[in-house]
Amino acid sequence: MTDVSKQAPTNALIQAQKVNKVFPNGCHALKDVSLDIFPGEVVVIIGPSGSGKSTFLRTLNQLETITSGHILLDQVDLVDKRTNINRVREEVGMVFQAFNLFPHKTALGNVMLAPLKVQQQLKSDAEQTARDLLRRVGLADRMDSYPSRLSGGQQQRVAIARSLAMKPKALLFDEPTSALDPEMVGEVLDVMKKLASEGMTMVVVTHEMGFAREVADRVVFMEEGELVLEETPEQFFNSNHPRLQRFLGQVL
Amino acid sequence: MQTQSSRWFGHGLYLVIMGILITGVYFAGQKIDYSWHWERLWPYIINTESQDIVSVTDGTAVVSSSGKLTIEPDYGGAPQVVTQYDTLVSRNGDLIFQGDTIARIDGWRFGPIAEGLWVTIKISFISLFFAVILGVVFGLMRIAHGQVWRNLALTYVEVIRGTPLLVQIFIVYFFIGTVLDLDRFTAGVAALSIFTGAYVAEIVRAGIQSVPVGQMEAARSLGMNYVQAMIYVIMPQAIKRTLPPLAGQFINLIKDSSLVSVIAITDLTKAGREVVSGSFAPFEVWFTVAALYLVVTGGLSWIIQLFEKRLSASD
Repeated sequence: MTDVSKQAPTNALIQAQKVNKVFPNGCHALKDVSLDIFPGEVVVIIGPSGSGKSTFLRTLNQLETITSGHILLDQVDLVDKRTNINRVREEVGMVFQAFNLFPHKTALGNVMLAPLKVQQQLKSDAEQTARDLLRRVGLADRMDSYPSRLSGGQQQRVAIARSLAMKPKALLFDEPTSALDPEMVGEVLDVMKKLASEGMTMVVVTHEMGFAREVADRVVFMEEGELVLEETPEQFFNSNHPRLQRFLGQVL
Repeated sequence: MQTQSSRWFGHGLYLVIMGILITGVYFAGQKIDYSWHWERLWPYIINTESQDIVSVTDGTAVVSSSGKLTIEPDYGGAPQVVTQYDTLVSRNGDLIFQGDTIARIDGWRFGPIAEGLWVTIKISFISLFFAVILGVVFGLMRIAHGQVWRNLALTYVEVIRGTPLLVQIFIVYFFIGTVLDLDRFTAGVAALSIFTGAYVAEIVRAGIQSVPVGQMEAARSLGMNYVQAMIYVIMPQAIKRTLPPLAGQFINLIKDSSLVSVIAITDLTKAGREVVSGSFAPFEVWFTVAALYLVVTGGLSWIIQLFEKRLSASD
C-alpha cells in the first residue's frame, strides 16, 4: 500500500487512484477513476444521472466502500483497515442533496452536536463557533429554529455550517441545490462561492453549469462510471469531446 | 377545519349518547334479580373495622391501673403484654383461653383489593422496565450487521410472539422456576418481561428503520462512530416515533399481568376472585376491578402523552 503513494509523490490533499466500485447487484459503478484534488481547489463533477459521480464523491469519505483502488487523504490510505475512518471523516465534511439535518435539534444544536460529542469541545466553545458559523451563512436570526421551520435554502446553509464546525480540510457537496426550489438555489451557491474564495477545498457534484464555469478550478465529466474529461472551465466548456457535447446538448 | 359550534354540538351529542347507554345499563341492572350491595365492597378495599387482639395462651387477665393488659400463663412462660388497644374486652381476673379476644384496636388497613392493585402495579412496572431493556437490546440485534445476532433476535421474537402468554407463564414458573429456584413473583416478572420484550423489540426495530438512512450518513460523515450516531441522532428520533405503539404495548402489559394469577400471585384479578367468594357480590367486585385497571392504564397513557407532547417541540 505504501508503494502506491510512493508512485505519486504529490502535495495533493485527496488522491483517488484507480477506484473501482462494483455493487452487490453486479452494477459496475466506478471504473478505474483517478483524480487528484489539491488544497484550496474547487473541483466540480458533472455528468448524467447514473454516471457514478455521486458514488465517487461518497467514496471520498468512505460512505461508500470501494472494490479496488486507493483513496488517500494527506497520504493516509482510507482503504487500509488500520485507518480510523471516523477521524478521516472529521477532516472531510459532506453536504447532502436532502440536507439531512437532525430534525430533533435546533439549527444551533445541529451545528454544535458533532463538536460536542466527537471532539469533546466545551459547550461554551462549541456554541461560540456554531453561532459564528451560522452568522457566516446568514442565519443569525434563525439559530434557535428547528429544521422543520426553515426553508430548504436555510436548511442547506445550516448543513454547510454543520460541516464547517468540524473544521474540515475539505468539503464534499453532493448535488447541494438539486432539492431546492429555484429561488433558493442562489443563496446556497452564494455561501459556496464565499467558501471557495476563502480557500476551502471543495469537491462539488452539481448540475449548476454556471457555478462550474464561475467558481471551479477544474471541471470533471463522468459518464457510465468513467472519468471522461478533466479540464479547466474554459477548456471544458469549449471542448468538442463528443460525449461531453452530447451531454451538454441535453442539459443546456 | 371544525367550527367552534359544530364541536360543541358534537360534545353535546356524545353526552346524550353516553347518558342513554349508562341509563340503559342501570335499568338492566335493576331489572335482573340481583340485589346490589356496593357497601359490602368497602372492607375489601380499605378495612376500617377494629382489629381483634387474641390471647396466645391459656391464662389469667391482669389489668394494671395504668391500663396495661397482661395475660399471666397458667403453665408458666413469658406473660403476653398488650399496651396498645382501644377497647378492652377482658376484665381484670378473667380466665382466658388461647384464641380468646382480649382487646380491640381501631384503625384501618388496606383490604385485599387494594393490596392486589398494588401487586398489579408493582409487577407491571417492574416488568415494563425489563421489557424495555430486552426490547431495545433485541431490537438493535434485529438490525445488527452480524448474521448471528439477527438470527438470535428473530428466533426470540418469533418464539415468544408465537406462543400464548399463559403457556409461557407456566413454563417459566414450573420449568425455569424449578431449575433456577425462582419464587413466583420473580417468575411472573420474568414471563411478562420476556413476552412484552419481544413486541417492544419489533417496535424498536421499526422505529429505528423508519429514520431515514441519510440521518445515519450525516452523523457518520461528521465523524461520529456507529454508537454515537445511534445515541445522539437515530434513537432520539426513533423514540418519538415509537411512543404511540409503545403506549399500546405497555397498556397490554398491565392487562396481561392479570394472567399471573394462575401461578397464585395475588394480583388485582386474583384478589377480585377471592373477594367474590367472600362477599357474594360478583358484579360489584368485577366492575370495581375493571375500573381500577382502567385507572392504572389511563394513568400510564396520560404520562406517555405528556412525554409525546414534550418531544413534539421540534415538529
